[in-house]
Amino acid sequence: MNNYPLRTSAKKGLIFAVVLIFLVLIDFQVMAATMISKAMGTNVVSGGIPEVQYMIIFLVLYGMWIGSNASPKEGRLRDKLLGGLVAGLTLGLVIAFFDLILTYLLRSGIDVRRYLSALGPNSMRVFLLDQLEAGPVYHLLLFGAAGFLGGLLKILFNSEPVKRFFKNIKTWIQQTRQKVNQSMPPWLTKYGIYVIYVLIGLAAFFIPRSWGSYNNYVLGLVGLYVILGIGLNVIVGLSGQLMLGFAAFFAMGAYSVALLNAPFPHNILLGFWPSLLVGVVMAVLAAVLLGLPVMGLRGDYLAIVTLGFGEIIRILLKSDLLTAYTGGPRGIQNIQGPTLFGRPFSNDVAFTYIILVFVALSIFIYTRLERSRTGRAWLAVKEDTKVAEATGVNIKKSKLLALCIGAAFAGLAGGIFAARNLFTGPNDHQLMVSMNILSILIVGGMNSVPGIILGAFTLKGLPEILREIENYRLLVFGGLLVFMMIVRPEGLWPATRPNLEAQASQKVPEEDAPETGGPHD
Amino acid sequence: MTDYIIEVKEVSKIFGGLTAVNQVDIKIPTRSIYSIIGPNGAGKTTLFNCISGFYVPEKGEITYFGDPIQGLSTDVIAWLGISRTYQNIRLFGNLTALENIMIGFHPNLKTSWVDAIAHSPRYYREERQTLKDALHLLEYVGLKNHGDFLARNLPYGLQRRLEIGRALANNPKLLLLDEPTAGMNINETEAATKFIKQLRDELGITIILIEHDMKVVMGISDRISVLDYGTKIAEGVVSEIQSNPRVIEAYLGPGGAALSEKYKSQRRSHA
Repeated sequence: MNNYPLRTSAKKGLIFAVVLIFLVLIDFQVMAATMISKAMGTNVVSGGIPEVQYMIIFLVLYGMWIGSNASPKEGRLRDKLLGGLVAGLTLGLVIAFFDLILTYLLRSGIDVRRYLSALGPNSMRVFLLDQLEAGPVYHLLLFGAAGFLGGLLKILFNSEPVKRFFKNIKTWIQQTRQKVNQSMPPWLTKYGIYVIYVLIGLAAFFIPRSWGSYNNYVLGLVGLYVILGIGLNVIVGLSGQLMLGFAAFFAMGAYSVALLNAPFPHNILLGFWPSLLVGVVMAVLAAVLLGLPVMGLRGDYLAIVTLGFGEIIRILLKSDLLTAYTGGPRGIQNIQGPTLFGRPFSNDVAFTYIILVFVALSIFIYTRLERSRTGRAWLAVKEDTKVAEATGVNIKKSKLLALCIGAAFAGLAGGIFAARNLFTGPNDHQLMVSMNILSILIVGGMNSVPGIILGAFTLKGLPEILREIENYRLLVFGGLLVFMMIVRPEGLWPATRPNLEAQASQKVPEEDAPETGGPHD
Repeated sequence: MTDYIIEVKEVSKIFGGLTAVNQVDIKIPTRSIYSIIGPNGAGKTTLFNCISGFYVPEKGEITYFGDPIQGLSTDVIAWLGISRTYQNIRLFGNLTALENIMIGFHPNLKTSWVDAIAHSPRYYREERQTLKDALHLLEYVGLKNHGDFLARNLPYGLQRRLEIGRALANNPKLLLLDEPTAGMNINETEAATKFIKQLRDELGITIILIEHDMKVVMGISDRISVLDYGTKIAEGVVSEIQSNPRVIEAYLGPGGAALSEKYKSQRRSHA
């Protein structure tokens, strides 16, 4: 039991104030307000300052968030009501002092951009709501009101009638779903999924044609990361080996296609498709070479070794020693694109098609593997290696197989990536790539294909579309990871296990149906 | 020779300076229930780990149908038909109960990952057969309609049963049960005892049992070995063990035999 709920609320206000000051110092608030104004239909010139009302909206939202956060979930109504207000006022008070400093800086004309490159006078001014004297007071009132409002909203959402209302909606949805399921003819439930596949296929065929090259670029990037995510998921999610150097396999694929398909340094010009195959094979070979010695390692040790492996590959590609063979730090330019039936097939739309086809193929292979004997063995190894072995799973074989299949996906994605960019270099294969892919799995949800797709869209697609985030990508990235770990550690779209028993018991009457004539006929 | 399914010959297992199992000789007759008892830390589980391949004994030999098996990896030993359960339940918690059992079938299946991707007819047949067998086994261990629960969400008693189910899946000839009734109440213990007996009688499996509950041990064992400080101090049928002074001493401490005699005579005089 918390005896001083209001003290806790005030503490929370203090924490939020520190966070807000930090955000202001890196000019985050201007970006947020710009995005709000864009969402409401008013464009801001890039690099420009949004109007004051959008800043107010951002600050109010921030205050409401802290208010709902600081209002205690249990306890007396008075504490609940006052919790938000106290937190908001604490936040406002600290920010008011901060405002005084900002005002002083503005007045005396000191340019802090020498120290804090993002904090220009205009963004300070808009943060102060264009009110140099009254700014602190405004902030205090605004945060107090917003905090109180946030607390109220929380009380409202936790109140019985509202809860009941949401519960009713939930049951209503479930009931309707059941009704729809029951009223559907059996052929539709059986073949309906194919109808959906065809619809997705048609959309995948027509949408890239009508899109511009930029959208195609973004879609392709997301697709490549879906393939990479699925590959890494085989290694991390299914067989439980924490791999941090996944970009090495990606580099294998990319460099195979690049070296076999570019006029410089080797001028082999093998053609895209054979060299893509070579890329996949090279990635698998690299996986075997890495896998055999490190098979016995687990957990953190394996993570460190694979991390080192990824860096070794990248540094080798970059080294002066191998410049004659790999193009060195400058990378490889003018990679030839793919052809199809003798014709060039390498514009934006064509690449989107290629990527989507391979995404579909990857998902297909992944799903079949996961639900097979092999996939079950992998999951067993992940859950408890010792017991899995005592149950008859050959650990070494199983782990190595997972590593090879995962690497094959990476090699595939790497090859397409290099050909699409017409260029690849050591910087395309940095540690950050491996981290990005791992984050996709964590944010999206391990072992869940929809989760991986969702994760790839969130982490790779959204930053490309919301260009304002550009400068704050890493901040948002880190924040999102922390947020996900706290709120939803299992990912956006968590994996589920198949209900084999229920399915089996459903199947039995279905098989009997034709013999007895069937009630549906 | 072949009357014994497994023979442990002068096996020693040493951890640093501690001899956990010291020159132990045990012969397990085929189709019997053989119990290994002893105070905590007597080396019972270590002996189990030696038989199932978790540990490689420093000295001695373990033969299975006359062939030495010490030093083989655990998956090969499982493939040979030796299954086990664990003192602290070790299920694959994030998989469903049914999947746990299906993993148990692993050593007997043949399809590879290529079959899985291509969905070859062989794969289809095998997978369907596995599911059928697994469902059957699920019912046999009494978990019907619990198959789709995640293993970690099952109640304790069912987890114990599921572990036995997983161990039964690869058609074992020898089953090692490490305290199968630990933490169970009287009714559950009784049911489990009956179930163990049923395994031997119906499936013809030889069972080695580690157990602390003397009622269970004395009720179903054909033969019993007693370990103390890593050494075997007694072996024989139930009545022999019950009257063995060294066993009583191991459990009750020095002078225990006399104490036990006194207790017995008191009971007799009361009656």
